[in-house]
Amino acid sequence: MSEMLIELGGIWKTYDTGEVAVDALRGIDLVVERGEYVAIMGPSGSGKSTLMHILGCLDSPTKGSYRLDGEEVGHRSAGRLAVVRNRFIGFVFQNYNLLPRASLLRNVELPLLYGGLERERRRIRAQQMLDQVGLGDRGKSRPNQLSGGQRQRAAIARALVTEPALLLADEPTGNLDQATGGEVMDIFDALNGCGQTVIVVTHDPQVAAHAHRIVRIVDGKIAHDQETRAA
Amino acid sequence: MNLLEVIADGFADVRTHAGRTALQTLGVVLGVASVVGTMGLMAGERQQSLRYYTESGGVLKVMVWPKTVENVRSSAREMASRGLTLDDVEAVRASIPGFDLVEPKIGRTLLVRSARASKSYYITGVAPAYADLHELQVERGRFVSQDDVATAGTVCVLGADRAREFFGSEDPVGQNLRLSDHLFRVAGVLRYREFYWNRSDSYNALGWMNEVIVVPVTTMQVRVVGAGSRRIDEIGLRLASVKTHDASVPALQRLLTNRHRADDFQVYDRQDRIQQMNQQGKVYDFTFLACGIISLVVGGIVVANIMLASFTERMREVGVRKALGAKGWHVFVQFLVESAIVTGLGGAVGLGVGVGFVHGIAYLLDQTAVLTPAMIAAAGLCAGSVSVIFGLYPAVKAARLDPVVALRYE
Ligand SMILES: Nc1ncnc2c1ncn2[C@@H]1O[C@H](COP(=O)(O)OP(=O)(O)OP(=O)(O)O)[C@@H](O)[C@H]1O
Ligand SMILES: [Mg+2]
Repeated sequence: MSEMLIELGGIWKTYDTGEVAVDALRGIDLVVERGEYVAIMGPSGSGKSTLMHILGCLDSPTKGSYRLDGEEVGHRSAGRLAVVRNRFIGFVFQNYNLLPRASLLRNVELPLLYGGLERERRRIRAQQMLDQVGLGDRGKSRPNQLSGGQRQRAAIARALVTEPALLLADEPTGNLDQATGGEVMDIFDALNGCGQTVIVVTHDPQVAAHAHRIVRIVDGKIAHDQETRAA
Repeated sequence: MNLLEVIADGFADVRTHAGRTALQTLGVVLGVASVVGTMGLMAGERQQSLRYYTESGGVLKVMVWPKTVENVRSSAREMASRGLTLDDVEAVRASIPGFDLVEPKIGRTLLVRSARASKSYYITGVAPAYADLHELQVERGRFVSQDDVATAGTVCVLGADRAREFFGSEDPVGQNLRLSDHLFRVAGVLRYREFYWNRSDSYNALGWMNEVIVVPVTTMQVRVVGAGSRRIDEIGLRLASVKTHDASVPALQRLLTNRHRADDFQVYDRQDRIQQMNQQGKVYDFTFLACGIISLVVGGIVVANIMLASFTERMREVGVRKALGAKGWHVFVQFLVESAIVTGLGGAVGLGVGVGFVHGIAYLLDQTAVLTPAMIAAAGLCAGSVSVIFGLYPAVKAARLDPVVALRYE
């Protein structure tokens, strides 16, 4: 097991929109160690989400290398990237992205299904995760029967159910009020306290303040990279 | 096994949007039902025609009738036509191969009398082969024999209705019947025959078989028409086989034209009729099948459309699933389970509705419904492949979807 969880070297991402090619990322070098708590900040359109997608293996860089847990994953096939996402990465989105028609339990179970875990163990594990985020008794509920904060907690449970090495969150508090957003960040803090690597994309300095390191992106490049607290 | 789990997940997913699935299923139901329906109705129609032709003498029957010449523009020769003669019969027998029966018929309307009734009827003078030619079946006694013809015997054979008319419930065989001035002995009675095109149809297409009074052709010639006459009213021929048709029938036409040097006869050829019927049938079949297939395609498009609509609705969902680690085939199977359910359910219900439709229409129109397992299988297969094709497209599209694009989708 490598100490370095993430090693990005010279990452470029170019969107070819036909007429103009947009360079969303222009040479990103970034190393994240295991157990770090990183906030990625930057103005709108600076490339934060694009970076998130590459870190989360949802997308491949146009140029550059990405080593995740010591293995090059930057240019793998879609099928193999799906496996990497399933094993190594948990996503938390601004708008929760829970499957609207499925119960919470089924939502949380889903990554385990794709991971090939058998039904009984899936159930038990998913229930455990719901218990951990305080939604143990809401397993049968549909997402639309929950408050925003509850939904985001369910989404966190789903992100962590496979015990991923990396938790990626894109504006996780963007749709929440201050108090519930704070609760969500408290969960992240606690997770990181137990050694979970967390990367949060955010506009909000209050959210970023929870992290131990802030990476600022401007125009597809890292402008600042600063430890704010000793890990 | 993971595949089963994924399929199960697909099922669970379908259950969560039963309304949409029901709509899609309806599309397939309509498509399959219309294919089965049209095929069934067409086949029923055709089978009824074929049955009629076999019951009344089959496809090998060829008839020659004199044509009444009354056109003012007719040639003098046609005006002077002597019609068909026994010499024509001999000539055909002598020079045209390919017919196993060539028989003359002479008919006259005569007063028929028994103890019970007295009425004028058309009496048919024929050879023994007449029964074979028209599939006449003898109920009691016998038909006109070769011997009767040789001796110009005064015997007759009655259709079932005539037997009842002149003899009531008594057995006519062996009894006497007076035709004009001559006393005839009843040699046999024909079996009662019927064929209705529709169940509510009152016209019995084989009714004439119940109404005939048959005597030997020679008797008719000698005792009624006058021994010197060679004129006949009809030549009935039977082809030795279907294969000889194309050579023999035109040869017959040519021979008679040459002998008469006038257009004073007409050949009625069932082969032609049946070919024509088949041809027409093909056109109908094609039209109806095309309609069926169009409705099936429309059904398929409905399926594909709803699939695609749900697809855009579910674009985000596909993105989320992929973010959670779903591979292409997971998504593919999930979509395919849906279209398989739609196809299976819709196909089964559609077959049921189609079969019901055929029987319903057949009942309303008094037609015979014909549905063979092969037709049902064909319709099922058709429906299956159409909806698999239309279901496959969205499934492949979803499976290939770029997760980032899917997640960004609003
Ligand atoms: N699929 C795409 N096709 C073309 N251009 C794209 C695409 N995705 C992103 N971009 C462009 O790349 C740049 C970076 O976009 P990105 O979404 O990463 O910004 P962001 O920092 O997340 O912004 P925000 O804070 O508003 O979410 C933008 O100029 C955007 O228009
Ligand atoms: Mg963004």
